[in-house]
Amino acid sequence: MSQDTQNAGIDSAGHDTDAVPGSAPLGSGAAGMGRIVKRETHTSRAVVSVIAAGLVMAVFGYALLETGVRAIGQPPWLVDPQTAAERVVALPAGIPPLLLGVTGAVIAMAGLFFFLNAVLPGRRARHLLPDRRAAVVVDDEVIAAALARRARLAANVAKEQVMVVVSRNRITVNVRPTSGVPLRPDAVLEAVRREVEEMGPWPMPEVRIQVATAGVVGA
Amino acid sequence: MNNTPRALNRVLIGILGILLLAIGVLLILLASVPAVGVWWHEWAGGVLSFWLDLFERTQFPRRQGSWLWLAICLALLVVLGLMIAWIAQQGTGRTSLLVAEEDPGEVPGNVGISGGVAEQALRAALADRPDLAGVTVAAYKISGEPALKIRVEPRQGVAPHRLAAEVSALVEALDAVIGKRTPVLIHIGSGARSRFGRSERVR
Repeated sequence: MSQDTQNAGIDSAGHDTDAVPGSAPLGSGAAGMGRIVKRETHTSRAVVSVIAAGLVMAVFGYALLETGVRAIGQPPWLVDPQTAAERVVALPAGIPPLLLGVTGAVIAMAGLFFFLNAVLPGRRARHLLPDRRAAVVVDDEVIAAALARRARLAANVAKEQVMVVVSRNRITVNVRPTSGVPLRPDAVLEAVRREVEEMGPWPMPEVRIQVATAGVVGA
Repeated sequence: MNNTPRALNRVLIGILGILLLAIGVLLILLASVPAVGVWWHEWAGGVLSFWLDLFERTQFPRRQGSWLWLAICLALLVVLGLMIAWIAQQGTGRTSLLVAEEDPGEVPGNVGISGGVAEQALRAALADRPDLAGVTVAAYKISGEPALKIRVEPRQGVAPHRLAAEVSALVEALDAVIGKRTPVLIHIGSGARSRFGRSERVR
């Protein structure tokens, strides 16, 4: 039932002009600050790198085993390198085409995963806040929780009836009113908008409200 | 804000991705299009005969076998070592000293202030707050210069800008104590403790 907040992840559609948030007029106290802010708002791909390195190490480690066994003239563990190469050359033969196609599809999907990870900007779901001393980076989840609380107080509903989704350029406030109790969307929207303006996140998102047509009974 | 080699990560992941993608597409084409199979036989057969020829020409002087196998072993070992070095590069950059400067006073020597000073001071200042689920302070070296990262985890519903202003005031007080302005990053994040803990209703 904890639908209070939700993090919509990175909204990577469009708006690629401001790739360097460090150029924002925010919290730039020292020379290295832009670099720090850039590093905090973009993923380092450390996890994917470790996965990739582990994959390469597994494949090359096995190749090393078989090559080493061959080099010192011992019988192969699973397959001799030369036999393996000959089988690869003869490829459409010797294996069911369906299995070959599925293997290819799996390898291609893994490749696509790594490739997209490298090419996409890799923005984290975070916003910057203005501050005169330090650079402030806030997870979108925290912003959503704060706005959900504000919207809940303005709409006078229970915690479970408000869900706020924060993405890079948009904040959507979803409210389910209590059955029989009128709800003024404009007042809620105004309250949330004022809170966002006071907060001043960068990039500044646009606030929208969605009031569900069906109400909640007995909330 | 650590010193993970981001450009290197991107390049190496990209190369691996393209290679895997090419292999996968080739396998799919081999399984589905017969003409690709014919081309593959010709091309890969040529490559294989080139290598077999190479193995023939690199026999040991007196006994059976080619020394090329040992060379391949060595190359594979080098690649494995590079991969280990790549993994070891991830997440480096922590430092223990926040300030290290020569003392201009009469006594010769250096003054070093550990990052633990900032950590203890900030943790003590933020310890009694009911709206925080956790505080972590760490010092990193950014382009040769120490910087402070303060990660606070507020409970659900805490307004981040007010929290940021309060932590920022603490940082300014810390500046006065240490006597030097280091770059500071305040990260207001959410973790398991703030997500599943009780929400802050009254402040």
